[in-house]
Amino acid sequence: MFTSSPNIATVKTTSWKVVLPFYLYAAISFLAATVLLFLAADGFTAHYFQPHTLAVTHTMALGWGTMIILGASHQLVPVIIEGKLYSNKLAYMSFVLAALGIPLLVYGFYVFDMGEIAKCGGILVLLSMLSYIINLGKSIAGSQSKNVHAVFVFTASLWLFITALLGLALLFNFTGLIMPDSSLHYLPLHAHLGIVGWFLLLVIGVGTRLIPMFLISKYNNPKLLWQIYFLLNFSLLSFVVFFYFSVPGGYNFVSYAALFLAVFLFLIYCRKAYMQRIRRAVDEQMKLSLLSAAMIAVPLVLLAAIITSLSVTAKASSALVLSYGFLIFFGWLTAIILGMTFKTLPFIVWNKVYHLQSAKGKTPNPKDLFHHGWYKAMTVFYLAGLLIFCAGIIFSQTMILKTGSSLLIATAFIYNMNVIKILWHKASL
Amino acid sequence: MNVITNNNLQCTVALATLQDVYDPEIGLNVVDLGLIYQLDFDDEQKEVFCSMTLTTQFCPMGESITDGVRTKLQDCFAAYKVNVQLTFDPPWNYELISEGGKKYLNH
Repeated sequence: MFTSSPNIATVKTTSWKVVLPFYLYAAISFLAATVLLFLAADGFTAHYFQPHTLAVTHTMALGWGTMIILGASHQLVPVIIEGKLYSNKLAYMSFVLAALGIPLLVYGFYVFDMGEIAKCGGILVLLSMLSYIINLGKSIAGSQSKNVHAVFVFTASLWLFITALLGLALLFNFTGLIMPDSSLHYLPLHAHLGIVGWFLLLVIGVGTRLIPMFLISKYNNPKLLWQIYFLLNFSLLSFVVFFYFSVPGGYNFVSYAALFLAVFLFLIYCRKAYMQRIRRAVDEQMKLSLLSAAMIAVPLVLLAAIITSLSVTAKASSALVLSYGFLIFFGWLTAIILGMTFKTLPFIVWNKVYHLQSAKGKTPNPKDLFHHGWYKAMTVFYLAGLLIFCAGIIFSQTMILKTGSSLLIATAFIYNMNVIKILWHKASL
Repeated sequence: MNVITNNNLQCTVALATLQDVYDPEIGLNVVDLGLIYQLDFDDEQKEVFCSMTLTTQFCPMGESITDGVRTKLQDCFAAYKVNVQLTFDPPWNYELISEGGKKYLNH
């Protein structure tokens, strides 16, 4: 007779009500960022420190990248840590605080007024990050599995908090000097911690769990992931130490070498997971996600060029720095999100609409919830817009920049149409 | 795919009906995916016991898949009480996929 296993688990995932507001907010932010990019196109022919460029960067980094990652991670963290999300209330709080804070902050940058509105925005964003870290930490503490992926995600959230804290200090430093140097001096530190500490660490931690899962790959190598983890954190910590003690630029090569090696190992991990997959057919969303993993190599080549230029001439070309930043946020990060949105969002909505009807009749597949023609058009507009805008930065031509940003507006518009189509999906049984 | 059972005939019927329950992400049914570990039948108490797993614990689709299995078994064995238990011991791995399932995924 049947004997029940002692290892019985109940399966309750995070409610869609927690996750979907993040996705919707991020989609609107992406559209807003592309419109701001179009309006600020002139700024990409000059120095990178421009009010409008700062506004675009923070709309992309916070409104688009961070909001969608926070939303997706509330859904995916239970899968990664094999435990429940600690608190839905903290997740809502995290959303509301960031949703209120980001527009205030971006407005402050756009009009270049670092007064009360921008400061209030910065504080709200910081509190949002704090809610997220508490929720994540409590969830991990209560979970059964403390695996390498969970460590990646938690460490990334700590770097996010440090980045936001430094950002807030820079904001206060604009109106009254509270730091030894001007805010511009600390900008590379703020940017580097955010890009490598938050985005890269998190993307690698989550990506190395999701890519093999979606491909049904036999490949699993926690040892390699720990090596990547230590390399990235060594790179970040050494960068902070060298920056703080104003160590001559040459020593920074140690930090960058660790970063490049970590990314190289990550790409090897992705390739091996792809080669050892059981599922041969790879859908369009996964193709774009895999392409985006490789796309990290492009800004890294630019970073190497910037470092070389800094060590030879003690200054880097603005076009090089702008291309690097643009390819991080509109290239690598956006490509990941464009792919992963249509891999995760349809499942969340499918679960909401059909989870009680899955065996009662023929339900559509999650991938049927969005328009594949629109998705292909979005990908074409996106790649064209990305390349043309980059050409505009290199040749310093406003007309080319406007053309590229128009194509990116079209990309964001189609993306929003598809997101709305998914969110408003009604049961077709 | 080896499903433990105390009644081969009823198990065959149950597995045939469970081939209509799909993992929506993978597009493969729960039987070929190797999610069903055990199917026992108590004809005296009129009970069906199903022990199954998921490809990953806290799978966002988990509730939908287990509900699907429960509904299908209840439809098939209307006079029986259906009891579906979820286990992760042993955890699922790709070797549990049937030959037919592997062929489908390799296609």
